[in-house]
Amino acid sequence: MTENKESKETKFKELVSYSEPALRNNSSVVEYCRTSMSALSGCTAGILGLTGLSGFIFYIFSVLALWGLLLFKAGNLWQKYFLNRHSLLTGGFFSGLFTYVLFWTFLYGMVHVY
Amino acid sequence: MFNLYRQIFALGILSLLHAAYSAAQHRSYLRITEQEFDGLPLDIFVQGVVSLFLSMYGILYLAGDFKEVRAIEELECKTWETLHNTPAFYIFNHRGKTLFSNKF
Repeated sequence: MTENKESKETKFKELVSYSEPALRNNSSVVEYCRTSMSALSGCTAGILGLTGLSGFIFYIFSVLALWGLLLFKAGNLWQKYFLNRHSLLTGGFFSGLFTYVLFWTFLYGMVHVY
Repeated sequence: MFNLYRQIFALGILSLLHAAYSAAQHRSYLRITEQEFDGLPLDIFVQGVVSLFLSMYGILYLAGDFKEVRAIEELECKTWETLHNTPAFYIFNHRGKTLFSNKF
């Protein structure tokens, strides 16, 4: 009897269905945060006058910081909101990089060149 | 519109703008005194990074809340009647029309 119950429970654990609107909502929130973070960190890098490699290192730092902030917001039960943790870190890396470079060069020009 | 996170965000942006203004002033000071630029002073640097995190913290909560991705969490509080409510199959042409009409 207990064996039967256990097998039922394991089967139940395997068959997890995800709600698609919730997934889409979460990914749109993450995307919003990522775009804002790349714009803001680009502004900061321009203001701080970073040039060359140090600016790209600052971008990687900001991506890691955003990852930490998102996990902080999700709390200690991130499995409730996301399917996996590493796609939060790596997703949209290059699209964010372009936004970052745009704001970086703009603010660097505004503050340090003119 | 008293929203704490909105104000945190506004504070961060203002502080970032202030850091930018300070950096521009430092740059013009260096230009006047004809010194070489080798990095900003530490206080402007720290202000820039701190205001970045401040505004990011505001945005993080302004962006919206996360929802539970498991479908069960959403369906748990709904009854069978709510789930199987199909308005396309409503019938209005039944005995109620004659029983409760005000003809008599």
